[in-house]
Amino acid sequence: MLSKLRDPSEKALAWLLLAPAFILIGLIVVYPIGKLIYNSFFDLRLSGGGGGALFLGLQNYADVIKDADFWNATKNTLLITLITVPGALVMGLGLALLANLPFRRKWPVRLSLLLPWALPLSFAGLIFAWFFHTEYGVVNDIVRRLGLQTEPTMWLLRPNWAFTAICLTIIWKTSSFMALILLAGLQMIPKSLYEAAEVDGANKWQQFWQITIPMLMPSIIVALIFRTITALQTFDIPYTMTRGGPGNTTETLAMLIHKTTIEYLDVGYGSTLAVGMFLLSIVVTSFYLHRVGRNA
Amino acid sequence: MNWSWSSMQLRVIAAGLVVINGFFPAVWILFTSLKSETELVQKPITWWPQNVTLQNYVQAFTDQPLLRYLSNSLIVALGATALSLLVSACAAYAIARLNLKYRQVILTTIIASSMFPLVTLLVPIFETFRAMDLLNTYTALILPYVVLNLPVCTLVLVSFFQSIPKDLENAAMIDGCTRMGALWRIVVPLAAPGVFTAGILAFVNAWDEFLLALSLNSSASMRTLPVGISLYQGEFTFPWPIISAALIVAIVPIAVLIAVFQERVVGGLTQGGLKG
Repeated sequence: MLSKLRDPSEKALAWLLLAPAFILIGLIVVYPIGKLIYNSFFDLRLSGGGGGALFLGLQNYADVIKDADFWNATKNTLLITLITVPGALVMGLGLALLANLPFRRKWPVRLSLLLPWALPLSFAGLIFAWFFHTEYGVVNDIVRRLGLQTEPTMWLLRPNWAFTAICLTIIWKTSSFMALILLAGLQMIPKSLYEAAEVDGANKWQQFWQITIPMLMPSIIVALIFRTITALQTFDIPYTMTRGGPGNTTETLAMLIHKTTIEYLDVGYGSTLAVGMFLLSIVVTSFYLHRVGRNA
Repeated sequence: MNWSWSSMQLRVIAAGLVVINGFFPAVWILFTSLKSETELVQKPITWWPQNVTLQNYVQAFTDQPLLRYLSNSLIVALGATALSLLVSACAAYAIARLNLKYRQVILTTIIASSMFPLVTLLVPIFETFRAMDLLNTYTALILPYVVLNLPVCTLVLVSFFQSIPKDLENAAMIDGCTRMGALWRIVVPLAAPGVFTAGILAFVNAWDEFLLALSLNSSASMRTLPVGISLYQGEFTFPWPIISAALIVAIVPIAVLIAVFQERVVGGLTQGGLKG
């Protein structure tokens, strides 16, 4: 009867079951990447009646390197990543520590972490754009009530304030996912470790740095990797809050690629920009994976 | 960390902070949606709505085809969820159960498929779908969303399949079931909780997606909720109370879903969940 399990047809069945997944990955990921690289060598505009694509060789790449918009968007993307990833980690850790206190009813706290996670990024952008409204926004109202400032801040109309508002929104939105991952990590730390530390006379602060943080490291790294990958792709929140403005001071790489390709239909140049972003992602994530490999 | 547990106040404050952080934006939008136009331009702004009105909700549905956006979102999200589950359950079963040589390589490939920046894939997908006349169809969104969901759904399902004793299946086959019969009668019912968890994650992913929906389905009748609502604004006007009402309409279904199944969602997220 066991022979049924060693049936050679099992191998065929396995590949048959895997086929749909791989066909879809081929269609939606592998083929597009090949096509993307191919397109990046052409002058390919979908606007205005077609006509063949003109082979440009490396011209698009030379143009990208000289393109101030590209470097501006790259700078913004990296800056957003550098600010919001650690920001979300710190806030997420804070939320996770608060949520880890022993509550009798766990659902209100759990739901308050799940709701921001489930909220679309674009909705977070819309809601916070309203928060940061100069005249009727609740942020300026709170600032006024606290007596911190009499003149309302023009949050979304000034480059640096708009950038700050976007980063705060991203941190709020992404910290809840961080908190959920870190909370799961916190709950796996054995209580006995703290009891032993208590006996040895370690104070809360020492316990935090010498037990909580080291034990939480695997969760922190997982959360950081995925947050970084998504931070590099930042689009929804700046798009819904400022459309990249004022000027292009909050435009990210994803927004620039979207604008070039989907709005201006300049597929060739947009593809070259995308290849640039692709390389950037590989550099940043491989740096991360390298660090993780060393820690493992 | 072991704070002084005895302090009840501390716990209440902690819970309060977490709850306010999570709920305040949604609550503020709810308040805004209930305010009248005149109340909205009062200064200083009011916190509690003074004269509650449902006018904004009426306008949210009449100014824009909100009902259409809602049904588009439902069709796309449900379609993507069903197809994601089917495709990833097949793959997960093969990885977890069958005699497969490159198990780890295959799983890694599936996970790695989610690492690529979506916007870089968008460019060629847009071009291909445009050539195939697929733009502004449900298919245009469902297919990419299935790939988006593959890693998380496959991870969740692999761990569920692995938790079902293989002997149960073998016993069924000894009793004369075919492999497919055993799969359908034994494994599928036992894996149902995992399928459900993966399904919720897939649904939320598809419900929330913005960039592809904005780019591939741009015509008014094919917009999903995130895209449709982000376009309520005019060139120079932001009808905030109406946008707020539309947001509440869009948030309620997803909020109910996660409120009812919160334990499942948290379990799924931490088990295989790797989404930002």
